[in-house]
Amino acid sequence: MSNAADSKDSRGWPLYQVFIRSKAGLDHKHVGSLHASDAQHAVTLARDVYTRRQEGVSIWVVPSNAITASDPTQKSENFDPMANKIYRHPTFYDIPEEIGHM
Amino acid sequence: MSTFLPEQSLLTLADTCLLSGHRLSEWCGHGPALEEDIALTNTALDAIGQARGLLQIVAARRGGGATEDSLAYLRDAADFCNVALASATNVDYAHTVLRSMLLAAWQIPIWDAWLTSADRDVAAVAANAAKEARVQWRQARDWVVRFGDGTDESRRRLLAAIDAQWPLCPEMLATPMAGADAAVNQQQWTDAMAAAFADATVPMPALLPAASETVAAAVGSARLARAELLAEMQSLARQHAGATW
Amino acid sequence: MYTQAIDVAPATENAVRSKSATDAEFEARVARDDRIEPQDEMPEAYRKTLIRQISQHAHSEVVGMLPEGGWITRAPSLKRKEILLAKVQDEGGHGLYLYSAAETLGVNRDELIDALHSGKAKYSSIFNYRTETWADIGTIGWLVDGAAIMNQVPLCRCSYGPYARAMIRVCKEESFHQRQGFDIVRALCEGTPAQRAMAQESVNRWWWPTLMMFGPHDSDSQHSGQAMNWGIKRISNDDLRQKFVDVTVPQAQYLGLTLPDSDLKWNAERGHYDFGKINWDEFWRVVNGDGPCNAERMHDRVKAFEDGRWVREAATAHAAKQADRVQAMQRKAA
Repeated sequence: MSNAADSKDSRGWPLYQVFIRSKAGLDHKHVGSLHASDAQHAVTLARDVYTRRQEGVSIWVVPSNAITASDPTQKSENFDPMANKIYRHPTFYDIPEEIGHM
Repeated sequence: MSTFLPEQSLLTLADTCLLSGHRLSEWCGHGPALEEDIALTNTALDAIGQARGLLQIVAARRGGGATEDSLAYLRDAADFCNVALASATNVDYAHTVLRSMLLAAWQIPIWDAWLTSADRDVAAVAANAAKEARVQWRQARDWVVRFGDGTDESRRRLLAAIDAQWPLCPEMLATPMAGADAAVNQQQWTDAMAAAFADATVPMPALLPAASETVAAAVGSARLARAELLAEMQSLARQHAGATW
Repeated sequence: MYTQAIDVAPATENAVRSKSATDAEFEARVARDDRIEPQDEMPEAYRKTLIRQISQHAHSEVVGMLPEGGWITRAPSLKRKEILLAKVQDEGGHGLYLYSAAETLGVNRDELIDALHSGKAKYSSIFNYRTETWADIGTIGWLVDGAAIMNQVPLCRCSYGPYARAMIRVCKEESFHQRQGFDIVRALCEGTPAQRAMAQESVNRWWWPTLMMFGPHDSDSQHSGQAMNWGIKRISNDDLRQKFVDVTVPQAQYLGLTLPDSDLKWNAERGHYDFGKINWDEFWRVVNGDGPCNAERMHDRVKAFEDGRWVREAATAHAAKQADRVQAMQRKAA
């Protein structure tokens, strides 16, 4: 998260990132952010800002400055090597037809 | 037929919701913060929706071509049945949140009673309204506490709002509503206010007798405010009698 | 549409110097339809241009609440009252999603609001026109939001991730906006003679300003090229404007409304409607502050912000008191 955006603005309402679970069984998904005077206020406001069209059953809010993000300049080192470990994928393996589904 | 709640009670709550919803809608685009603007508008939409639900029922039962809109736009101010507090002017955000809190607390036990009414049409409206009124109560109460226990200025403004609106409460609490026990509800309401005011660190005034002159004067002012509100609200619809929009 | 008065390639920066390797790499990423995310390396001019465009888009939404918001208290039916409230509320929400997107680029919302109130930042000048009748509420939804949708759908594929995602959210909500506007106008056109006249009179006033929303002709638009290379602008002003005219003329015909352009004519050769000349003097006057409501709009926004200051400060003060109390309790318990 960018440094300036995670600080309070001059009215003193910090920035919160909002995550919504759209229905039971699914993960919370990041939907955006809002400014609020504290975390409880943020949860209340998130309901009005982000769930007017029945988009959610559960809300998480996190102060922006509590989020630690991976370094995008290291994206290539961190994530490209995952591509050549294809033995982690089930499709790598040939299972004889006689075995049926596995 | 005999399971119908009396029209007077339905109109009292409908008109209360319509006028207080209208007052809340006056803030749309002018709120103290974008997030709050959006939140307050939701409360306005809830109130207007509740009004529509009840007005549709009243109109259907009156028959003779009555509609939710003929009731809302073609009745004269004097024929509205709302509690006086509903039309109290916004003045500032402290007045708005206080009014919202006082009204929500009064409505919750009425909606709760109507949830299980034999009047099934009304019970259906109450099903959503009871939930919405609770959200309205929580959000308004949170703001009242922020203002009482915030800055010197917010505290000053909240006290001024209490001065202006407290004299309107006796009339509201004395209004008979079918299916609701006014004495029990008044006690619950007062207890809820005591807790809210304590959290807001502001003193709760004593409730004046409903017959007092101060109450009468406050109600009179609120009636004038209602007339102005309705003059604006009804202006376009009345200009085009019989038109559909 | 939201880039009025924006200098995409400011003279002090990379307008004149040859492109660096990083800038070329960046444009190659964009050309591959890679999404750029908040912490990615990006040219400073790209970042600045995005901040200006996204924030001006946000300002447009918030200022845009005012012309329609002014009719909420006079909406002539309860259904229309609810719908208009929900619509104006959505505009506020759109402003909020866009401020959020802009903030990912390293600015605070307050800085952006400051720029708006001081006149440094612009907003779509369509909102400087007056809503004189109820019919204008319909016309704005049908024409103005219709034009906005044309501009916004391509932005869903904008190179900058947070802006594109905000636009997807906006577009989902926007088609209700146009439909409710069209529905209002249709009800008027099917109504009394006075209502029909109201609708026609409204369209007479709003048609040309709507066409101006798409911005100057491409030939007069200096910086579209760079914006295209950066994946911020996907379709040209003239193409969007033509598309809008082609789609809207049949809608007006359906409603029985005459568009105020005697040069409006189907051109079978081109496969498009020909239309008349836009009065660019009026456009620049209004952009530069001399529209019917420029002063009023700014006054209302500044007033709301200033009047709201004590409210925001009270919430902050209370939150601080609560935090202190929690800390004190924790210390006692420890």
